[in-house]
Amino acid sequence: MPVKIVTDTLSDISADLAAELGITLVPLYVRFGEEMFRDTVDITSGEFYRRLVTESALPSTTQPTPNDFAEVYRKLVGETDEILVITVSSKMSGTYQSATQAREIVKSRCRITVIDSLNVAMAMGLIVLSTAEAVKRGAGLDEAAEFVSRATGRVHLIAYFDTLKYLAKGGRIGKAQGLLGSMLSVKPILTIREGEMAPLTRVRSMTAGLDYLYNVAAAYASVERLAVEHGTTPADADKLVERLHQHFTGKPIYRSVLSPVIGTYAGPNAIAVTILESEKK
Amino acid sequence: MSLIKTIAGQDLRDMFAAASSWLEKSSAEIDALNVFPVPDGDTGTNMMLTMRATMEEAFRAPDHSAAGVASAMARGSLMGARGNSGVILSQIWRGLARSLEYKEAFDAEDLADGLDESSVTAYKGVSNPVEGTMLTVMKDAAGAARTQVEGGEKDILCVMEAVVNAAADSVARTPSLLKVLKDAGVVDAGGQGLYTILEGALRFLRGETEMMRLRKPQIIVSELAAGPSLPQASAAVEVPYGYCTEFLLKGEELEPDTIRKRLEKKGESLIVVGDESAVRIHIHTLNPGTIIQFATKLGTMHQVSIRNMDEQHQDFLEMQKERTPAVDSAVIAVASGEGLMDVFGSLGAAAIVPGGQTMNPSTKDILQAVEAAPSENVIILPNNKNIITTAEQVQSLTQKKVRVVPTRTIPQGVVALLAFDYEADFKTNPEIMEKALPSVKTIEVTRSIRSTKINGLKIRRKQPIGLLDGELISVADTNIDVINQLLARLDLDKAQVVTIYYGADAEVPEVEKISASISEGHPHLQVEVIKGGQPHYSYIISVE
Repeated sequence: MPVKIVTDTLSDISADLAAELGITLVPLYVRFGEEMFRDTVDITSGEFYRRLVTESALPSTTQPTPNDFAEVYRKLVGETDEILVITVSSKMSGTYQSATQAREIVKSRCRITVIDSLNVAMAMGLIVLSTAEAVKRGAGLDEAAEFVSRATGRVHLIAYFDTLKYLAKGGRIGKAQGLLGSMLSVKPILTIREGEMAPLTRVRSMTAGLDYLYNVAAAYASVERLAVEHGTTPADADKLVERLHQHFTGKPIYRSVLSPVIGTYAGPNAIAVTILESEKK
Repeated sequence: MSLIKTIAGQDLRDMFAAASSWLEKSSAEIDALNVFPVPDGDTGTNMMLTMRATMEEAFRAPDHSAAGVASAMARGSLMGARGNSGVILSQIWRGLARSLEYKEAFDAEDLADGLDESSVTAYKGVSNPVEGTMLTVMKDAAGAARTQVEGGEKDILCVMEAVVNAAADSVARTPSLLKVLKDAGVVDAGGQGLYTILEGALRFLRGETEMMRLRKPQIIVSELAAGPSLPQASAAVEVPYGYCTEFLLKGEELEPDTIRKRLEKKGESLIVVGDESAVRIHIHTLNPGTIIQFATKLGTMHQVSIRNMDEQHQDFLEMQKERTPAVDSAVIAVASGEGLMDVFGSLGAAAIVPGGQTMNPSTKDILQAVEAAPSENVIILPNNKNIITTAEQVQSLTQKKVRVVPTRTIPQGVVALLAFDYEADFKTNPEIMEKALPSVKTIEVTRSIRSTKINGLKIRRKQPIGLLDGELISVADTNIDVINQLLARLDLDKAQVVTIYYGADAEVPEVEKISASISEGHPHLQVEVIKGGQPHYSYIISVE
């Protein structure tokens, strides 16, 4: 029986695409005061960002409970005997712990491997999508798990942030702390290093930021697939996709939206490009 | 979620027991926030130990009413308080206990009253209250509860949400209130500890006990980055800190207020709290002997602790050294004017050498900054064409590796510093920075020092003149006219950001007029105005 893949909603893989590929998405939670929503399930990104900018109190987020994962495992053990769980970086969320603990709740002979992707957003999404293809080609659980570990070294996320306010308030600023406190209005460009957000550079405007994103992405010579995602500015992201299409003719570029939980930290107007380099032969 | 209208004694105890374990998880990180000599090197540990003593007594209390539990907490914390932060924490419980007296359970309004009393009592215990510490955080938290209750809120959970949010914001603001925190780029450790306790209590009320077992508290990040550490400030200043002296005094008819008055002149950071049977004293003094002598006359002394703070300071410096990440490359910028220096500091320059037009720094000035920089690799931004050569001399005088990015103006320096790539190495970064220079145009407006003819322009003495990228090409009767002439030469349709740094002698109404005229003429431009405070140049304008 083929390996079933489980991931969380911070992979930014849409429900439709997940269903098509047989991937199960486990949602995190986002909360506005008393109202609790399952990420991307009970609240759309559109609705979320509207509330993010209009409400004075900032939302907060929670990882899925071990029980949320256990329920998914229970359902899948009827369909397969090998489950691969790929989670958001354990340095950003406790999702990995919940997924691991859930294995102990579900007593089954089904083998369940949980892997920390060390990434977030489409940087994790592209790993999951690429792994799904490897499984389709016949990879077993161990082979697929190894595939994920190798893929973490091939993936690069470059993100334009309009502000670091949300990242700082949410306590997820990681190594990008040095970019805080500028007297000029500057827009940070961040990446992910060792599972945490890390600074790359700074620009003065979104136009300059998008140029930077394009230039870094275009500098990669050997690319398997790419992704572009936005929070609130689809038109700008579309323009970036167009430019990338011209440069990377024939490469798949996934178009996605930053999930509400990610938006809690990225804030409005963020745009990210992710490159998954081809596997070296 | 159901409404929580009242909390009885048992829940009060469980709530703070959960908060106490929550705090334990981050005590080491809170320790690491300490900034000497803001009292005591181990705030996290001290608060954790104080909370342990607090809760042990609370669990021993025979009386399970809210009043009973709160008063046990107050007693336990007074007996077991450690360090400055622990003593203030004990005052907070004391205030709460006083306010909850005779109450079986408490509601939202009682909670607001209790936090108010906690805040007032905490301030009273300290002889010289300092803002930007846990006192401020307590005050802000209490204020938020009061606002909620006055707005008619009956749900304790909602009140606590507001309290915790306000505490978080308050902690994040501590660096703007206390310079030592700002310089170190951290938030106040005691404030963070108090926030963590309140947050733990809130999470317990929300029923997030499972989550509390798995996760740990977050340290709040200050919104201000570490200020620029100017090289001259790094010279060690040797002021003795003396001894941190702490003990519990037991006796009869003790008078905390009188004791506080008697000790006020004997040292710093004095805290005297307690009641007629037990008083806790904390003081930083050069002469602990006199304090002890005085105290033995009043009663018996317990838990006496005298620690040499100079030793603590040494340990602290060692810890700081380990904490400061070694940066691959440090950037040093030359600038004058407080505003411009702050701009470079806020953008991450390791040091700023004062200097600029007509006051060029010496090679030695720059060399000193290079030697003091926290890296073996140093990039210098001269930001003036007359300083580039001086900066280049430094290379041959130091063991460190030095590169000069030939920035000729302040805007070029800013662009170069912004382009700094955190992942690039020392060889590549100067190249990336230099490549960014053409992306900015610099306008400088000053006054002619004499009448002259240059570049076909007839210039009278003291007339405003304008330079575009260092070249004198404009003269007019007002600053505004000069700026407009220069802007007309640029293709502003392609530009995105205009930054106006106005000088020490520029007048604010004129600055506003210039900024408004650019915005109106070019609505797509983002116009930013910064008080550069530079001498000689009324305006330095960058067009990107």
